[in-house]
Amino acid sequence: MLTTPHFPLSEFMAVLPAAMLVAGAIVLMLSEVFLSAANRTYMAVIGLLTSAVAGLFALNNAFEPARLVLQGFAVLDPFSSFMTVMVCLGTGLACLLASGFLKHRNAERGEFYALMLFAAAGMSLLALSNEFITLFVNLEVLSVATYALTAFLRRGPRPAEAGFKYFILGAFAAALLLYGAALLYGATGTTRLSDLAQALPGAMATKAGLVYAGFGLVLAGFAFKVAAVPFHMWTPDVYEGAPTPVTALMSVGVKAAAFVALVRTFLALVHGLDPQVPFTLFALLALLTMVAGNLLAMPQRNVKRMLAYSSIAHAGYLLLGVTALFVPPTAQPGDAGGVLGATPLLGNAAVNASVYKGILFYLLGYTVTSIGAFGTLAAIERREDETRGNTWDLERLAGLAQRQPGWAAAMAAFMLSLAGVPPTVGFLGKLFVFSAAIDAGLIWLAVVGVLASVAGTYYYLRVVVYMFMRPAPADAPAPFRHWTIEVALVTSAVATVALGIVPGPVSEWLSRAGMVFGG
Amino acid sequence: MTSIYETRVLNAVIFAPLFFAALVMFLPKNEKGQIRGVTLAGMLVNLATCVWAWTRFMPRSVDEFQLEYRLRWIDELGISYHIGVDGLAMTLVLLTGVLGPLVVLASWTFVDERVKEFHLALLVLQTAMLGAICSLDVLLFYVFFEAMLIPMYLLIGVWGSEERQMAATKFFLYTLVGSLLLLVALLAVYFLAAPAGQRSFDYATLYNGLMSLNREVAQCTAAGNCSAASAGAAALFRWGPLMFLAFSFAFAIKVPMFPVHTWLPDAHVQAPVAGSMILAGVMLKMGTFGFWRFAVPLFPVAARQYQVPISLLAVIGIVYGALMCLAQKDIKKLIAYSSVSHLGYCMLGMFAFTGEGATGSAYQMLNHGVSTGALFLLFGFLYERRHARLMADYGGIAKVMPVFTAFFLIVTFSSIAVPGTNGFVGEFLVLLGTFKSSLPVAFGVFAATGVVLGAAYMLWMVQKVFFGTVTHQENLGLKDLGLREVLAAVPLILLIAVMGLRPQPFLDLLNPSTDRYLARAQYASGKAEAASEDERVRVTVIQLPPKLVVAQAAPAELPTPRFLPVGRVVPAAAAALNPQTP
Repeated sequence: MLTTPHFPLSEFMAVLPAAMLVAGAIVLMLSEVFLSAANRTYMAVIGLLTSAVAGLFALNNAFEPARLVLQGFAVLDPFSSFMTVMVCLGTGLACLLASGFLKHRNAERGEFYALMLFAAAGMSLLALSNEFITLFVNLEVLSVATYALTAFLRRGPRPAEAGFKYFILGAFAAALLLYGAALLYGATGTTRLSDLAQALPGAMATKAGLVYAGFGLVLAGFAFKVAAVPFHMWTPDVYEGAPTPVTALMSVGVKAAAFVALVRTFLALVHGLDPQVPFTLFALLALLTMVAGNLLAMPQRNVKRMLAYSSIAHAGYLLLGVTALFVPPTAQPGDAGGVLGATPLLGNAAVNASVYKGILFYLLGYTVTSIGAFGTLAAIERREDETRGNTWDLERLAGLAQRQPGWAAAMAAFMLSLAGVPPTVGFLGKLFVFSAAIDAGLIWLAVVGVLASVAGTYYYLRVVVYMFMRPAPADAPAPFRHWTIEVALVTSAVATVALGIVPGPVSEWLSRAGMVFGG
Repeated sequence: MTSIYETRVLNAVIFAPLFFAALVMFLPKNEKGQIRGVTLAGMLVNLATCVWAWTRFMPRSVDEFQLEYRLRWIDELGISYHIGVDGLAMTLVLLTGVLGPLVVLASWTFVDERVKEFHLALLVLQTAMLGAICSLDVLLFYVFFEAMLIPMYLLIGVWGSEERQMAATKFFLYTLVGSLLLLVALLAVYFLAAPAGQRSFDYATLYNGLMSLNREVAQCTAAGNCSAASAGAAALFRWGPLMFLAFSFAFAIKVPMFPVHTWLPDAHVQAPVAGSMILAGVMLKMGTFGFWRFAVPLFPVAARQYQVPISLLAVIGIVYGALMCLAQKDIKKLIAYSSVSHLGYCMLGMFAFTGEGATGSAYQMLNHGVSTGALFLLFGFLYERRHARLMADYGGIAKVMPVFTAFFLIVTFSSIAVPGTNGFVGEFLVLLGTFKSSLPVAFGVFAATGVVLGAAYMLWMVQKVFFGTVTHQENLGLKDLGLREVLAAVPLILLIAVMGLRPQPFLDLLNPSTDRYLARAQYASGKAEAASEDERVRVTVIQLPPKLVVAQAAPAELPTPRFLPVGRVVPAAAAALNPQTP
């Protein structure tokens, strides 16, 4: 006889935000069929409201005590709940951006917003998955929605190419992840992360090879998703080919969710392993991603590609924070320690809480900044240029300070925030992450990180140079203005600066994110 | 005892320009006269607040930092909004305040494009500079230090001359490399200075926390064996020199010291008058001020280890800057290289670690601000008329512009340290301090040649530009200074004379600072360390104000609120909402 487990209603609180996002998506799809009004801006508003309500519920969840829910398949903890809040924030803003963007292209359809909300639901669920199969399914929910979004504008070969590339490589990454999970299941007999953590030390004694192979494959799968070098190759093409609001959502939501899932997975997977192995792997990934992301962004004249590479570089800074979680406890204050080594200043400190907080604050800052930066691009790019291939050339930004002073000021704030210059939120994010890294003893890695970010400043400043110091071309077309885009830009610009000056309550809330289940 | 004026006046000093910037923002773009007028009014109000702060400042008080104000800011990292001034900072605040209105007057007609943005940048820059000088929280200092870059970058890049974009980007990147390394070192200091839970970026916490570690490091270095030192001292022994170098690198770029000075000539040449004046007058002082306030006091042992190399770079800077001046054809570039030379004195005096040297160095900071600021201001007037920077484009100007020539000569004398001008006091004290210090005599001798070379390049320049016959027809029609221009120049000329003939009031203001700087630089220099020495150098500041609302306890013990907490939750109230919570 089948025994159905009993789930009290409170078990479902964790998935409530995702359920609301899905409900909103269904409403949007139905409205496309039954309410085909000529003006579809209301759809963006529905998307915005849905994500706002879901975000508020997630914020409420963030103050619940951390616990396992749904028989240990999911986790309700502040870490994942705050991530969901950020995803909802990003999705809401991306819906606003999309409205103006799609209207300009006569492509505004309900399924676009519905796909965005489905993707957001996938991200939210991915962040709280505590079991490999659940994790894989949620990853696919989020990925399939973004594949479709990438190829949504079916004009010219570029979107199709981007969608196809994303699909092939994404499926490959998911397969790696699944294969790794299967190997780990073979070694331990469980797919639940909390059980894995207990079973791994025993499995290491008998099947070390299997465990290491599984570990490596899972890491590679995640590295694809967070676009860590050398698994980053798909990022620039996909980011460039996707409709700009979708790129904005990808750069914030997909990446944030993947990072949270990565942290959760590897906190469980490192049990029983030689601590040097995960530490060295993460340190290497962080190093390569920070340096290569910034160096590759430097020669780009295409601003959208540049932002794609910059998102790789930012993944590198986040990986620096993740590396701080896995500093081997044996490192001594006097150790020599090269770039990849850890030399704690004062013995090993328990830095985990500050790392979680740093990662979340960084992701929050990156969310508002990146949405704003891609949003400005979305506002500037012209449909007529799409076939010419220079839609996002730096020249398009020339003289923006005279043509659209507000947009130029906002874009300058976003660029400075990405570069980590105070008083913007990007600086505080870097401060939180780097201070956690230094506390953990990653001093040389932090030095490499800041030097790489100087290289980064060069290309961010070039955008400011074009906007403020180059004359506007005489034939510069009048921009297409739509209130939804402007609302999104104002919101993210205000958040970028305000959170940089008064992080107060937000950063206090995020301090609770120290509560990662089992972390 | 402390009145509301004393606790709030520095806030007024820092944020008055920002307030006027908000006013300017609401003015229509084309009302250029109004924009200039409001900005000038703002700068004058700012000057008034600076003078007001000065009258409230008591040089003879036993308190090191006065007019303090402190607010909670980012509690988890121990960052507070903490401002206050000591004697040196007070003089720099005054200098910044004085330069403010002059900069606006100097650009009254020079800048005619994007006037609103220009004046916004000036006002924001003023706030950032004053904030950096007054910060007593190191992270607050860092925020203002970086925030200065953005308006200055725009000033150079938007309103500069031909090569402005290159110069602006170079300026920004140079400074950023240094300051990011500074940030890493700062975080390391933050973790070293206090145990977890008491950490803070406050200057007092950092300094007092490192004090005993520094003494331990000095003792064990003298004994030649640091293996048995405590964990903190071992870390400081190992990382201290690197941290000092990171601090020094950041500030040396800003000073700028040889060999990281190469951004300065480009930035100065390309910047508009206002940019050059502020850059020379105040922003370069952030470098020397940083050494004085942070690099040397926090790492006295490492600073003494690196005394000779840094002094050597300072002397090279003095001589090299002067020789480069001799080779210049471009007047602005000449003034820029003379800055490298003059600030070399400043660094040399600071690293002589003698009373005269330190006083001279502090005085030289002010001098350089006044006289180089005045040189850029006056040359700006000439440039506005002729739009030429080469000496060969001028000649015989004295016949056409006699008032201007008189002003320029006075400033030249100040710059080459003729007795009776401010420059003499500073350079004399620095050289005296260098000869009295433990540095080899050659350092003083070579530095002294800089004075001679300085006279040579300045006088040659003056001769080529002002005397002889008028070689270019265009120069015949030049008008002499108008009333606005005279008004802009006179305050600096007066300061040159007053600071040269009557240095005592300024020295009184600086002396407590120099005493403390010296005591901190000499701290734990190998003599028997008495506890009384600790008391002499310890930094005392006001405490953080208590939290206004009962904030949350540690996250783990939080009761779970049923509703979204809006603002801060009082635990008792939240517990009342959830009676079932244990």
